[in-house]
This record gives sequence, structure tokens and C-alpha cells, in this order.
Amino acid sequence: MAFCIAVIGKDNAPLYLATSDLERELDLQYHVHAALDVVEEKCLVGKGAPESKELYLGLLFSTENHKIYGFVTNSRVKFIVVIDSSNIALRENEVRAIFRNLHMLYTDAVCNPFYIPGEQLSSKKFDRAVQKLMSGNA
Amino acid sequence: MQIKPIITYSGSFPLFRSLESQILNAIPLDTCEWRRTFQRPTKHVRLEAQTQQFSVEPLERYKRGEWSILEHPILHIFVTECNDIDTYKATIREEIDAWLKLLTSYGISDWMILLVETLDMRKTKNLLPRTTVLDKIRLDFGSKNDDRCISVLNPAKFEQKSTESFRCLVHRIRFLMLTSFNRNIAKYEELIRSKREKRNHDDWDFRQYFFMQEDLALIFEKLELPTEALIQYDELDAMFSQFITHTGFNEKQQWLAYFKRPLSAFHGICLSRVDKFEMRQKIRNEGVSLLEFRNYLFERQAYLLLTCNEIPEIAKRLLGFLFSTLREVEFIKLDCQEGALCCWEFVCALEVLQLCEQAMEPNEVTCFQHCAPIWNLAKDKLYELGKLCGLLPGCTPSSEQLHIVVQLSSGIGDAPPQQQFLQAMPQLRDRSPNRKPKLSAAQQLKEALGSNQTFQKLYLELAELAISTYKHVTRLRSARLVGLDLGKFYCALNEPHKAVGFFTDLLRELKAENWHMLSSQTLLELANCYRKMGDSLAYTKTCSSISCCAELETLVRTFYFDEFLKSLKTLKTTLSAQPSVENANYCVLEDHFRIVDIAVQNTKIIIQDDHLLVQLKVESLYPREIVAECIKLCYELHVTPEMDTALQDVSLVPAQHRECSSRLKVSLQLFHKQDNTLNCASVVCDTPKTKQPVRRTSSTKRKLSPSVQADFTNIVQVENMALQPGINLVELKGKATRVGRWQFKQVCLTMSSLEFLSEHLPFNVQPPSFEICTKPASASLEFKTLIAGIVQPINLHVAGGSFIFPADAKITLRCSKNLRIRQALEPSAPDSNTDANFENVLQVPLLQFKSFEERRIPLEVLTDMPGRKMAKHHEHHVTLSCPWSRNDLQIPIEFQPAMEATCRLHTCGTQKFLQVIMKGLDARLLLQHAKVKCDVPGVRLLDLNPESQDPIEIYKSLTVTYLYEIQVEPLKAEHELPIVKVHFVVKYATLSEPHIWRNYGCAFDLVEYSTLFKLQAQLEPNELCRLRTVCNLNLKITKINENPYVDLMYEVLNDQNLWAVCGRSADMGVVSMKDVDCHSISLDVMPLSTGFLPMPSIRLSKYTAGGKNKADAHSRVHPFPPGQVYNSTKSMQIHVIASVSGDQ
Repeated sequence: MAFCIAVIGKDNAPLYLATSDLERELDLQYHVHAALDVVEEKCLVGKGAPESKELYLGLLFSTENHKIYGFVTNSRVKFIVVIDSSNIALRENEVRAIFRNLHMLYTDAVCNPFYIPGEQLSSKKFDRAVQKLMSGNA
Repeated sequence: MQIKPIITYSGSFPLFRSLESQILNAIPLDTCEWRRTFQRPTKHVRLEAQTQQFSVEPLERYKRGEWSILEHPILHIFVTECNDIDTYKATIREEIDAWLKLLTSYGISDWMILLVETLDMRKTKNLLPRTTVLDKIRLDFGSKNDDRCISVLNPAKFEQKSTESFRCLVHRIRFLMLTSFNRNIAKYEELIRSKREKRNHDDWDFRQYFFMQEDLALIFEKLELPTEALIQYDELDAMFSQFITHTGFNEKQQWLAYFKRPLSAFHGICLSRVDKFEMRQKIRNEGVSLLEFRNYLFERQAYLLLTCNEIPEIAKRLLGFLFSTLREVEFIKLDCQEGALCCWEFVCALEVLQLCEQAMEPNEVTCFQHCAPIWNLAKDKLYELGKLCGLLPGCTPSSEQLHIVVQLSSGIGDAPPQQQFLQAMPQLRDRSPNRKPKLSAAQQLKEALGSNQTFQKLYLELAELAISTYKHVTRLRSARLVGLDLGKFYCALNEPHKAVGFFTDLLRELKAENWHMLSSQTLLELANCYRKMGDSLAYTKTCSSISCCAELETLVRTFYFDEFLKSLKTLKTTLSAQPSVENANYCVLEDHFRIVDIAVQNTKIIIQDDHLLVQLKVESLYPREIVAECIKLCYELHVTPEMDTALQDVSLVPAQHRECSSRLKVSLQLFHKQDNTLNCASVVCDTPKTKQPVRRTSSTKRKLSPSVQADFTNIVQVENMALQPGINLVELKGKATRVGRWQFKQVCLTMSSLEFLSEHLPFNVQPPSFEICTKPASASLEFKTLIAGIVQPINLHVAGGSFIFPADAKITLRCSKNLRIRQALEPSAPDSNTDANFENVLQVPLLQFKSFEERRIPLEVLTDMPGRKMAKHHEHHVTLSCPWSRNDLQIPIEFQPAMEATCRLHTCGTQKFLQVIMKGLDARLLLQHAKVKCDVPGVRLLDLNPESQDPIEIYKSLTVTYLYEIQVEPLKAEHELPIVKVHFVVKYATLSEPHIWRNYGCAFDLVEYSTLFKLQAQLEPNELCRLRTVCNLNLKITKINENPYVDLMYEVLNDQNLWAVCGRSADMGVVSMKDVDCHSISLDVMPLSTGFLPMPSIRLSKYTAGGKNKADAHSRVHPFPPGQVYNSTKSMQIHVIASVSGDQ
């Protein structure tokens, strides 16, 4: 369903990154990193009215094979989801749902008192849930 | 292709023909206000029209629902010239009626009756016709819509007069056309909708539907509504996509086969076609491939966007268009040559980019935001093609590949002849005329596929453009990512020096944001470059970094670790003379080691010149053990932050606040109302604007360039230290040379000629600080009240401070005269019982004296008790010579005497007695062997004290008296021995040491010790003395020894309550003893009280009468010293009894 799900901290350092395709992981990581440009661009535009700002940023950019969507939480943690662009069953609403679920999973993960904000997310539970989300059985 | 609304005409054809051109020309001359239905905004529209003879055929189609708005006549005009009512009634009326009925039968109401009047001037000159033909027509047909019946003067005949009426006509035509459009568009839209509903029917054909809706779009375009036209195209676009992706495998859609023709040609889009509808004809007539159809759709959309001046939107839509088309090609499984789609994508991308470049100003960032990925796409596609055709660096195309090139080139096709329509666009940028016209996208691609050189040239150009465009829209990460591709390309070109810049840029970006996995990949690329370049320093550094990347596989890491060690050995000779950021021999320490903790090991205060011990907890990221030649940690003077200095200016801030640098200056503010009640209270933090008090650490990006070397003059270090992978504890040593508060600044680790410098030490607020201090040594004496004459304890207190004592250090104490000192001895010590070891100068050794030690050395002092009568403090001082100071220290000491001796002279007649009184003071002492000595010949002292063996104890406020009689030989008259010196000596001992006897001596001077006069008083009657009875007091003054005092004065000193001296001034008198030895005086006294009364005492004084010379006119009286007058009746008592008479 999704190729890659990434959680990126407010200082733009990756906190968590999972890909379904290990061979293309490096390529996907580069794309996720480049997507931060667009996230920054969109967040900058929305600077005027922060209260009305929507967390979901929509499609950041697309390549021949991938569509890259972004989401930014109020604490400036970014979620990037890369999906297969040939999968036409996956529409805006489904992507939004992925982000919503991811946001909840992330919130649960950082609520762990042993997690220090800003560190890598190494929770196995979170990883399992994200893998499930990525394969579309969430 | 002509798109003009159609007007039909009926009735008098020749007449209309004569007017036709005039009308058609006049219609576009002016705009007409178009009031649209459904509250859509009104619009001023410029119309065009074409005419047709009225025919039923289009009406038939209209009725059947197979009409197109493009071909449907929009207005039907009936023309007549009839001016005569009779003719009208006879023929024309029926004609019109039939025509109208026909129209109504088809449900058409867009008609107009035009009456062309040829006004006969002669006829109408005199009489106005009662009813005109127009009135009649209106009456007959225009009952509800008389505006559809209009008359006009024949402009051919009445040129001047007809203008007004003709203008009216044209205006009416325009108006009616627009009204008709309103109705017809609504109707047509309905038709489209109903058609769309049937899209899943078997015989439904998308192409039919397409043309149907496109006709509407064309009409909208004609009516200057490009956005609405665009909506039609967008709907078609979406519908087509949906068909392909959702029902592509459905056999129902027979029409799909129509688009399934193989892609033999793959022309890209062309945004500047001369004949925009060439393709429309082709679609209608011969059929096109999916690509061609898609191209046509996009071109139309782009054209409409261009008319709306929405060029960025074109760029925005391009990628979506390309990708969705690719997907469609995939879905319907079209056969196409390998690389064909790449060519198509490339040409499309370049076409749009060229348009954007021509039309946009550089500051229109939104457009370039969309352009940047297109450049990148073009670059990628070119690369794919290059790969396919063997054009990449280091490849030579094989014959097969050459064949592919030929095939592709033919498929790309030639660019269609270009219409320079862009030049008419107002937003077109002025280009300098020198700029050579760009080749069309297709031509560029063909050229690039032609040879390796042209391919490389175009690829590099595109990559640079992609990078610069990304940078222009500040998408730096994307720009770096393109840089990675470009760098790899340069590497393949064997120009690694060009690639290095791109890789380091990317590395910096990735490292700054902690994308370790990606940065380690980039390091691998860099290492590759440096090896090719032969830059051994950079290669060594990169190898080192790679071997510390935890993300990489162990095999890779150990390989590069070995490489690192190998090249490190050869590095010495290749060091660059001019270190810059790139080729400096220092690296960022944090990439290789992680400093976990720094702790000062010294437990005690660090004194100047002490050894400083620091424990460094460092994590080595290397895969194996590595030996660091030197690890240095430097420290600098602790600098208090700026804020601190600012705070010091404020006098209100208490001193302890200044010490704490992290504290903010927060103050209370109270605002009062006018009546002095509190309005509001707030807490205010005034911070100097120069420095933000709160700063997000996360918002500052990590510096990547190797750091500047700090000042390494003050360091702790260790040499040749082997560091294991993981945590290492390293002890660093150094000498604390300078005093102050210090802060650790930087770690420097040296391996061969490489230096690893730390960026920042891992402490959140500030690195740990420590203090090197110095403290002056001091010495002082401690004592309580000291008593002279006995051994007194005293303490020498030495505080070492930071002074470092030599082994043989000592303090010399020098005492003032009569003061002696010794070190306190144990009571059991053999010498403790003697005073012998008291010295005037004492040297106290400070054995094993350490810095900051404090030592209390007990001493004993003893001072002589000088024989002074008065209890007075004895002042002494001790001078200390200390090893840490050149100056002597003088400490004053005061002693109190242990006891005091006084002496009194007593007389009994001529006998003289000496009384020595010993008064105890603070100490308890034992006294014995009191003696007096007098060396004067002729004077003898008789000891009258009892012989006693036991010492006498004396203590505070206890007195001991010794008595001696002095016998002076009579011959030795007083004038021969005016002073007799008597020495009194007594031995004393303290109670604690009763066996040590010290001498206490005191010298007394006896003067005026011989009795000169004797005084006797006698009261008569002697036996009985009654109260208030006058008695006789006889005074008798006898001269005992010769003396020069002649005139004496006597005074009766009595208690006024006891005795009364009778007679005026009888209580005193002067007697002369000249030539007489004895004198008697009689006084009357009266007792005033009963009992034993003391005899009135008499005082005898020397008298010097005044007035003998001028110098002293007054008489003077001098008292005798006690030893010279002896009152023999002193303290005699008289018994007074009460008087017998009862007068009480």
C-alpha cells in the first residue's frame, strides 16, 4: 500500500523510517529527505494563520513511480508517506487515513515515559504497527 | 476551422444578401453585455457570426438530439421589403406565418423579422401612413415579443439616414444571439449530461461524446470564457482517465480499441501550433494514438491556460499529465519502442520549460517551483535514454544501440511549424536580440542522441539548470539530490574533482540534519573521488569517517579502517602547505569519537602549580582499536556571559545574583491607580536586546566545517593512548599553572599528522568549570589572658594556604626582652620542671607541612615579674619569621602581673615598722621565704614575722602581710640617709608546679622615716566627761628630732556630731616651735553624744606665713608625711556619760 513511512523530527532529523522495499530504501530515503523542502515551503506559506493550519499537507511531489505525501504535527514533527503512484485505489482520503493512524501511533509511542523526545523511535510496538499500516491492514 | 455562430435567413434572399456583409462586419465591431443565467456574472462579449440560408436539416438534428451547438443556427431572420400593407396581407403574412410555424414545430424561438424599409420621400412627405407594415407585423406576430420585429432603413439607399436604425438592428441581433446562446447552452449542457449518463451503454462512443463536449468548450472559448472552456476539457480529461484506469479491461468499451493503436510515433506536445485543430480533424477522420490524443488534450488545456495568463498552472499540470498518461499507456498495454516514452516525456517537459522560461520573470517563484522538478525529470529521462543508447560516459554505442537511436529519432518526429503566437502575448519577456533562438525540444533531443559529446553537454546543462532552479526556489535538499546525480555523472566522466563539490554539499546538508544512512553513502562516493584524485589527506579523512559510520556494514567499515591506517602512514609527506577548510589536517572529532563525560579528578581544591587530573570518557566509533598519539583537552578562562556584565550595572541586584550567570533579571512591577490603589502587578524580565535569553537549541544547525582550533596553551593531555571501540576512560594530566576559574573548551586528538578537533563539548548549558586557586599562608598566636611570672601556654597557629612548604620549613619566634619562650613539653618530659629551656629565640620546625594544612603548635612563654608595686600590664611582643614571607611579623603580647606588693611605714614613737603587703591577683600561688634586705650601713631590719616552714597560698583578693622593724642608727640622721632602699624578696611557685620556686623581688624606697614631732592630746577633767559639759582639751606638741620646720599649724578634725570645739576659730591655730621643744595648747570642747567617743583627732601641718615677701602673699600649709609626726593619743576613746541635770 505504502512504500515508505518516515517520521522526521522538528530539526529535520529522521526519527523513524520504514520501507517495504529494501532494495530501493536508499532511493526512497533520498526522496523523503528532498520532500522536506516542500514541507518547509508549505509550512512557511501557512505561517500567517497558524490556528487554522491544517496538519495534512497533501501531495508534496510525485515522481513516475511514487507519490509523496506530507503531514506535520503541531510540534513540527513531520510524517512523510511514499505511495505507489500506480495504485489508483489509494486516494486522498485513504492517505489522510494513513496519516491519522500514524499520528495516533506516534502519539502513543512518544507517550512512553522512557522515550526521550528527539531520539530515534525504536519502539517495536510502533514498528509493528507502522509495518501493518504500510501493508494496508491497519 | 471557423467557429462562428450561424444566423439563417429566409424571405427575401437578394435583399438579405445585399445587407449580409454589412451586418456581419458590424457585429464584431462592438461588445454587447451578456446577462447570463443562474446569476453568473454578466460579461461584455464581442460576437462574430456567419450566415446561412434557412434550411430544415439542422432543425431536424436539433429535434432528434443530435445537434452540436457549434453547428446549430443561433438566430433565424426573416427578411422582407414589403412596404405595402396590401401586399403584406396578400403574401408576406402567410410566408412569415409558415416560417414561424415551422420554427415553433422544432421548438425554436430564436427568430427575428427584419423589415427593410425603402422610404418613399415623396409619399411620406405629406401624410403619415395610418398603419405601417411594421405595425401590422408586430400586431400579427410580435404580440409578446415585439422586440423581435424590427425595421431598418435600407442602408443601401439611405446612407445617411439609415445609420441610426442600422446600429439598432446590429445591436438587436447581438442581443438576440446572446439570448439564444443562454437558452441553447443550457439545453446543450442538458444534452451532454444525458449523453454522459449513457456512457456504459454498449454503443456509446467516447469520441462522439468528446466532440460534443468539446464543441461546448469551443463555444465558451469563442465567447471569451476560457476558464469555462477549460472546465469542459478537464472533465473530458478526468473522464478519459477514469475509463482507462477503471474500465480498461472491460470488453464493453468497444471504442477503447480505437485508441489502442501502437505508438509508432511519439511526438511531444507543441504549444505553438499554427493549426490548433489539425489534430481534431485527425481524431475525427483517421483516428489517433493515445499519446496523440493526450497531447491534443493537454495542448488545448495549455492554450486555454495561456489565454488566462496562467503559465505556472501549465507547469504545475505537466508532471501529472505525463505520469497519468504513462500509467494509461501501461494500462491498455500499448506496444511501444523502448525509450519512446522517455523521448515523449523529455520533449513535453522541454516544451513547457521553454514556454515558462520565455514568459516568466525570474522572481515569479511559484512558476519555478513547478519548473524545478520538470528540469529534473528532463535530466532523468535524458539519462535513461543515454543509458539505453550507450551514450553514457565511458560507453560507445553498439550498432544495436545506434539502430535504436535512429528509430527513436524518427519517432520523435519533427517539430510542427511554429506559430509565433507567443510573441503576441503581453507577458512575453524581452530577450536580447543576440540570444540565439533555441532549438525546439525535439531537435535538441535528436541532437543529444546523436553523439556522446552532445549528450553529455545537454545532460550537464539540464542538471545545472535543475540545480539552479531548485536553489532559486530554495529547495536546497532537492538541489543537493540533483547534485548527487551530477556528481556521479562527473565521476563517470572521470572528473572527480568536479564531483567532490557536489558530494560535500550533499554531505553537509545530510549531516546537518543527521541523516546518517544517507551521509555515509555520500562518504563512500567521496572516498571514491578522493582516491581517484589522489588527494591522500582527504582520502584518509574520509576513510576514517567511513570506518566510523555505524550504519554501514562491518565489512565495509573494516576495509576503510585498514585503508585509513595505511594511508595515515604515508600522510606525513603529503601535507598541504596552506591548510584550508578542504585540505586542512583537522577533522571533526564528533564524527569519530563521542565525548561522553569530562570530570576533574582532583578531590581537593586545585592549587596553583598542582597537577590537574581529568578523566575523559570517550566513545570510539572505530571498528577496531586505534592508537591516539596525543589526546589534549584545553581549558580557557571562564567567561561569564554578557548578560552577567549587564546585570552588574544594575546596582539593585544583590551580589549573589551576579554570580549566577544563568539567572534572568526578573523584577516586580506594580502599577497604581491615581488613588494609589493597586491596579495591576506583573513580573517583568528586561533582557538586553543583543542576546536572546531563551534559544531553541534545535533551531541552530550543526556546524559542519572543521572547527577553529582553540587556544591550547592550557591543557591536560595524555600520550600514546590506545582507544578500544566503545567507551574508554582516559586520564589526562596537566599542571595547573595559572590561577582562575577555568572552563574546558576543546578536545584535540592527534593521530599521525591528523588532528581531530571537537566542535562542542557535550554539556547542555556550559562545559564544567574548575578553579585553580592560591591562598596566602598565615601564622598567628593564640592566647588568653597571660600572667607574668609563671609559665603560660600559648598556641602558634599556622595555616598553610596554597604555599608549598619545603621539608625543612620552620618559623622563628623572637621575643622581646624579659620574655622567654619554649615549645610546650609533656609534663613527663625530663626538662619540663626547669625553666632552663626557655629561650629568647625559638625555632619551630614545620615538619611534613602540607598546603592548606592548619597546625596548632603549643608553646609556653614565661616573663619575669619585675618588682613593681602597681598592678600594671606588662607589654611584650613576639616577632615571627615565616618561610613564606620576607617580612617579620610582630605580634604584641600583654601580661598581667601575678601579684602585687606594696609597703607601708608605721611609727610608734620613734620606732619604725615596715609593712609589706602581698596582694594576690589572677593566679594562685604559693609564697615562702620572704626576706628584706637593706644594704645601707646603719640600718637594720628586724624580721618580726613568725618562722614558718609552710608556704602561704595566695589568690585573688587575698593579701599577705609581712612586718619588719627598721632600726636606723641615731647618729645617722635623716639628712644623711634621705632614702633607705629596702629589697623585698619572696619565693613563689604555682600550685601546679609547687617544686619550681621563682623569686619575686620588689624594691621599696623609704624616705622621711624619722619622727620629728610628737603630738599628745589630753582631755580634762579626765575621769568624767559629761554630755554637753565643756571639757578642756590640752594639746602638747613636742619636738623630738631637730628639724627645720618652725611654724606649725594644728587643726582639730572632729566629727561635728560628736564634739563641738568652743570658741571662735579655736579648732585651728599656729604655733611656733622656734627655740622651744614643747608647746601646749588648751581648747574647750564639748561632747555632743554619749558613749565612748574617739578623741578629736589633731592634724599638724607645716605652716609658712604669708606676707613676708611679695612673691607669696598668702600663707601656706603643707602636710607632714606620715612618718614624721607621731600622734601618741591617736584612737584614744573618751567615755562620755549623760549629764545629771534633767535638762534633756
